[in-house]
Amino acid sequence: MYQVLLTRRYLFSKVMPLLASLGVMLCSAVVLVTWSVMGGFLVMLINTGRTMAGDVVVRWPGTGIPHYEDLIKRLEAEPSVEAAAPVIEAFGMISPPDGSTEGVVIRGVDERFAGVTRYAEIIWWRRPEAPLPKDTERRDPRLGEISGTSWDELYGQGLKLQRRDPRTGDLRPAVVPGIHVMGTSRRTREGFYWPRVTERRGSDGTREEINQFMPRDGSVTITVLPLDSKGQPLEPFSSVLPVANEFQSGVYDYDSRVVLVNLAEAQRMLRMQQAKRLARPGEAGVVEQPSGEGFAGQDSPPALVDDPARVTDVVVKGRGPMATSAEARALAARVEAVYTKFAQDHAGNVPDVMDVSIMTWEDQNRTFISAVKNEISLLLVLFCFISITVVFLVIAIFWSMVREKTMDIGVLRAVGARASGVAGLWLCYGLAIGLVGSSLGLGLAYTIVGNINPIHDWMGERLGIVVWDPAVYYFSKIPNRVDAWHAAIVFAGGVVSCVVGALVPALRAAFMSPVRALRNE
Amino acid sequence: MTILQASNVHKTYRLDRVEVPVLRGVDLQVREGEFVAILGASGSGKSTLLHLLGGLDLPDREPAGRVTFQGVDIRARGLDTYRAADVGFVFQFYHLLPELNVLQNVLISAMSMHGVFGYLSNRAAATARAEALLRAVGLSHRLKHRPAELSGGERQRVAIARALVNKPRLILADEPTGNLDRVTGGKILDVLLDLRAKEGQTMVVVTHDEATATKADRVLRLADGRFGAS
Ligand SMILES: Nc1ncnc2c1ncn2[C@@H]1O[C@H](COP(=O)(O)OP(=O)(O)OP(=O)(O)O)[C@@H](O)[C@H]1O
Ligand SMILES: [Mg+2]
Repeated sequence: MYQVLLTRRYLFSKVMPLLASLGVMLCSAVVLVTWSVMGGFLVMLINTGRTMAGDVVVRWPGTGIPHYEDLIKRLEAEPSVEAAAPVIEAFGMISPPDGSTEGVVIRGVDERFAGVTRYAEIIWWRRPEAPLPKDTERRDPRLGEISGTSWDELYGQGLKLQRRDPRTGDLRPAVVPGIHVMGTSRRTREGFYWPRVTERRGSDGTREEINQFMPRDGSVTITVLPLDSKGQPLEPFSSVLPVANEFQSGVYDYDSRVVLVNLAEAQRMLRMQQAKRLARPGEAGVVEQPSGEGFAGQDSPPALVDDPARVTDVVVKGRGPMATSAEARALAARVEAVYTKFAQDHAGNVPDVMDVSIMTWEDQNRTFISAVKNEISLLLVLFCFISITVVFLVIAIFWSMVREKTMDIGVLRAVGARASGVAGLWLCYGLAIGLVGSSLGLGLAYTIVGNINPIHDWMGERLGIVVWDPAVYYFSKIPNRVDAWHAAIVFAGGVVSCVVGALVPALRAAFMSPVRALRNE
Repeated sequence: MTILQASNVHKTYRLDRVEVPVLRGVDLQVREGEFVAILGASGSGKSTLLHLLGGLDLPDREPAGRVTFQGVDIRARGLDTYRAADVGFVFQFYHLLPELNVLQNVLISAMSMHGVFGYLSNRAAATARAEALLRAVGLSHRLKHRPAELSGGERQRVAIARALVNKPRLILADEPTGNLDRVTGGKILDVLLDLRAKEGQTMVVVTHDEATATKADRVLRLADGRFGAS
């Protein structure tokens, strides 16, 4: 009983416990803030990494997978598969009208892509449901009208990767570059984009401002290096394509390097479309021709054969959220089984199941997921060090407090307190400091994390400190959620550290001879 | 009837390798209700003896001596229990806990004796007794004050109330007036004696003060680590 009473009194009448509580508060707040923000980044990374990835991908880079439509049909017949879509991935170059050239990743996709990824959500140029959180003055151009077209039309263009030619009225295959690819859109601090105004200098020295909006009237030149069906490089192939829209996935690496190209056009450019081809004798595929005219013979003449269209990837979306690795892996196993059957039925014409890679979204993002996970474990090491620091902090402060309170200890023993009771007093005291410090720390951490975006903005505006430069981290928002479990663990860690730290001084107090304690002056 | 008995009590302090024998075979018998004053030169071991009698310290093992209370070795009774229930200490320097107010300082004894749950069920009775004692020592209007806000004499009154709150049968006082002026000291002693008169406790008081000694039933002088005749 006196433990509780004295703990309460000691807690509020001394500077030392205040310092100890502050120390515990800061330590637990630092750990929890770091953990929340970094853990939030991990979740964000995984989720944004998934926006363009699908749950499982079947990949055979280079020459690609023929008869993929059959594979997709088979996959979609699986109950655990919601949808599948063909994708071509290749390296290429993009040249906007101003003449610069950038190396990019070309991804040929069609409208099915939106069914397996969150592509539909990341198409930028469309009417937003609400202004962006920081756009309090509603300056986002997407909130206004657009001349010559409509936001809905632009969105439809983006989904289908086609743009209507204003003169002929024909739909032309188009591209949807990441919004940072060419630098034609300027990002504002509020998080929306202005189409960049370019200047054209006339021969007479006059300047003309061109307010060019790529998805309405811009075109780009895409250059790719096609490979033949053996994987040998052919001549580079260029094509001028209209821009249908732009996407913003939230991963800067994608948004600055990926250009989505209409699948049919990408196949054409990369020579992966269905075509007649001069086959050489003895070639796989030729033997299979059902013509029955005996092309298989060594001396048969070359013949024109149907070369099926190919894609490098088939992206699969499973049913359900596929949030855990286990779910994704189960789906990957199903996909593998389907592919095995597919490869058997097309023996010799499609890559073997051993050759293709079948990867879950986690496998695809393995490097950065493991990088961030490493940082999380590093953080836990830091957490341990901080706990040890707290333990020593409490030992040091309590040791001197026990010394200062020696007379009190002697008095308590003289009025009949047991040694265990005196030890209990100090443990109780450590517990109280742990509870107070950790609670304050949690409160501080919740406050900081909850307001981390305004704080960060303020730091940027007033102090010029930008920790998370959007150009580098490219998150319009820093994770601002504290996981309740993390909070509980940090809280418990703080309390336990304090009690452990109090243990040594508590034992010192308990084993102190009452007479010595009383004689102490 | 003997309530407190010390027989052949030795106490030697060891400082490094130097042995300082302080008590060398003290024998003492205190009857129930008796008021014994112990006189002796400074450094003669009076405080040491009082600590041994109150179970705050133990006599030397060799040669073996012992302290018994109501015929039971205090070690067998349990020193903590003995100190909590049977003994009330009053010290020269009051030894109040500075963070607690007057009432809490008195109740701390009750809390130590009863433990958490015992105290909670005895709380009302203990508080009533503490308040009655503080009224008896003339401090009923200062229950919420901190020791630092009291004079020396007032602090010692609080200490007396604290010593008596558990209704101990034995009061041990180590120079209770030693830190006070003569007049105040006299008053404090009267307060103590009044309260004792009501409840009939046995009392052993260590003092330098001959005036105190004259009020005792019996005076013992400690010299050379023993009681001489007086
Ligand atoms: N912990 C200790 N270690 C060594 N010597 C001690 C210790 N405690 C007391 N002494 C010695 O024991 C002797 C007796 O001390 P004690 O305090 O009992 O004397 P006292 O009679 O109460 O004196 P005073 O009248 O001045 O209070 C002293 O010489 C003192 O130095
Ligand atoms: Mg003394």
